[in-house]
Amino acid sequence: MKKILFSVMLLVVMLANQVVVAAADLEVNTPAISAIKGSMQARHAQLASHYASGAIGLTKDGLIAVRDANAVPLKERAGLNGVVAAENADRAKLYQEIATANGHPEWQAEIQNTFASRWIDKAQGGWWVQGASGWTKK
Amino acid sequence: MSALCVTEVIVTSLQVFIRRSTPNMIALSRIVSVCCLICYSIAAHAVSEVSISVERLEHAMGTAKDIALKVQLTQPKPSVTLHAALKPAEADVQHKPNAWTQLDLSCNLPQRRSVDAVRCDNGRLKSARLDLPFNLDINHLFQRNQLDVDAALYLKGGSFSDEAGLHAAEKLSGVMAIALKREAQGWRWRTSLDWQTGEVFWQPFYIESGGHALQAAGTLRDDVLEVNQAHFKINRVGELDADGAVRLSDFKLLDFNAKLPKLDLGAAYPLLFKPLLGNTAFNNATIDGTAALQLKVKNTELQSFNLQLNDVDVVDINNKFAFYQLNANIPWSYEASNPVRLSYARGSLLNLPLGQTEINAEVNRYAITAPNIRLPVLDGALSLSNLSATRLHNEWFWHLSAKLEPISMEGFSTQLKLPRMLGKASAQIPLVTYSGGILTTDGSVVLNVFNGTATVTQLTMRTPLGIAPKLNADIALRNLELGELTRTFSFGAIEGKLDGDIKGLELQNWKPVTFDARIQSSPGKYPKKISQRAVENISALGGGGAAAAVQRSFLRFFEQFNYGKMGLSCRLRNDICEMGGVESTAHGYIIVKGSGIPAITVMGYNQTVGWSELLARIERVIDGNTKAVVR
Repeated sequence: MKKILFSVMLLVVMLANQVVVAAADLEVNTPAISAIKGSMQARHAQLASHYASGAIGLTKDGLIAVRDANAVPLKERAGLNGVVAAENADRAKLYQEIATANGHPEWQAEIQNTFASRWIDKAQGGWWVQGASGWTKK
Repeated sequence: MSALCVTEVIVTSLQVFIRRSTPNMIALSRIVSVCCLICYSIAAHAVSEVSISVERLEHAMGTAKDIALKVQLTQPKPSVTLHAALKPAEADVQHKPNAWTQLDLSCNLPQRRSVDAVRCDNGRLKSARLDLPFNLDINHLFQRNQLDVDAALYLKGGSFSDEAGLHAAEKLSGVMAIALKREAQGWRWRTSLDWQTGEVFWQPFYIESGGHALQAAGTLRDDVLEVNQAHFKINRVGELDADGAVRLSDFKLLDFNAKLPKLDLGAAYPLLFKPLLGNTAFNNATIDGTAALQLKVKNTELQSFNLQLNDVDVVDINNKFAFYQLNANIPWSYEASNPVRLSYARGSLLNLPLGQTEINAEVNRYAITAPNIRLPVLDGALSLSNLSATRLHNEWFWHLSAKLEPISMEGFSTQLKLPRMLGKASAQIPLVTYSGGILTTDGSVVLNVFNGTATVTQLTMRTPLGIAPKLNADIALRNLELGELTRTFSFGAIEGKLDGDIKGLELQNWKPVTFDARIQSSPGKYPKKISQRAVENISALGGGGAAAAVQRSFLRFFEQFNYGKMGLSCRLRNDICEMGGVESTAHGYIIVKGSGIPAITVMGYNQTVGWSELLARIERVIDGNTKAVVR
């Protein structure tokens, strides 16, 4: 169920993005992009509970960050950092690959910005998102 | 403490109550040394209880409020209790009104002059993110009128956490003993820490349970903490002996000598190494075996170390690599170059089995050189020569020459779960360079496959062990035997030879995304025959039509046909393959051009085919035929 939700979210984010960056095809697919998406999708199950508890939140630059590690038992905190770092590495790579697949590697920053606002728009209620004035709960 | 009281404290409100009783000035004099506030008020006559409450105390180090100090002087159990709320003078505390930490302490005072031990039970430090219940035993604070502390702090199930939760502990119990003595030029100290139970997360490390101990002794002069000797025992991981000096102003390690004779890597990996390996290819492995380490830092610079690995097995959980019975002796010194030895009994890399290997190299400061390294792979070997590697600005740069001694394609294709191929592959690469995360080859990799050759040039690779590895290359195929090729891929027999050029090939995650490919019959004279099944299959690739035509016509009586030439081209962009054949016609292109009797010509009509669709078609054709062969 979480996987389906994630897929729908990713799809919505991508479709929505297409309107914003008119020139870039954000839905473009390459083996690299599908490998990254597969990796992110597999990780989403691990992240979902942390979004809900407020341990992590969506940042304004299209990444995620540890917001309040106190929401996670000590034992899992090292894992939390690892999973956030891995997710951010994938996200950075996803933006880069989408830009490259469009034949415009220099669009990466713009694509990342578009994704950032869309991830935040589509975040579930109760998740923490980062705005200009800091963290807020949706 | 006395300086604090007398010179720098602003007392906003002070109330002192004194009751008459038998004098106990001996105990009182000791309390005075603990807290000199009393010295303002104690009169020479008899008292039984002293209560002091202070509303607010301010000092450069912090603020205290609601202080209540009560000294009970009645025999047989004189005691002192203290309650206070404390707040350290840190800048960010102003934004947190609830940053007060409550301190409760209750101590039994000695009754006779000869015994000067003070015991404090049920002490507690408590705030929103801190709860430290403790007992405190003070054997002595002074000896011969000199400050000479000997005390032990017993922590009983304490917990703390910083605001972000990145440094935290829970259910922490242990003992810290400390001895501190004034010397001519500073302090002499000795401590022992016994961490009995409890878990700690100290970004990025997580320690699940206790059983660790530290004993250390040394001196403190100005801001340099000198450790004469320290013994550190980490439960199950190993024991470390060390000495050295730390500058406290910036926590810089001035000198450091460490000896770790036996480190259990199985226990150390999840505890110490995995958190540090972060997102590298090595953070998801299991490891067994032991290591020994000696290390020397002098004047803040690493001088030398010696690392030994003994019978180590390291296996990546995702099977990207594995090394068994890894042994190594790696000495390093800033001053001199050293020989390095590393060997393993067997292993695997990206599913390719590696045989017993011994590597000898020379390490000179931040550079490694090795004249020859031979890595057995399958039934052949990869020989590396003139290897040179260096680490600059936290990145590796290296170059080498490589030669692949013939390995059987049969073993290679089986291991990589490719269709079974025959023949041998060998290669010679004059120069391989790795720089900025990109692996580049100069010269060509020549593989001998299907009785012909595949020459790979312009080969570059990015992050081969990462999540989306990328490979670019040009490939030239010459004189591939179609008979062997079609048997391998169960395609239906074709006799003849094939040349091909795949230019600008880009693989992402080992799947093609871009190329300009053209395959066609090799020039020259040789038998050219194609079976009816192969014709059907080729037609099926083109989208059907021709196969039905064959079935309908008299051609169905022939098992095989002659052909003059055959060829197919595909220009892959954005998952779309633009197709062509050996010749173009008004409606399409010719894939197989007939010649002689009986001859057959196979046409293709689809100018563009989705790449995934084409792959699916090939798979269906090969699958279908495999089943046919089995029947």
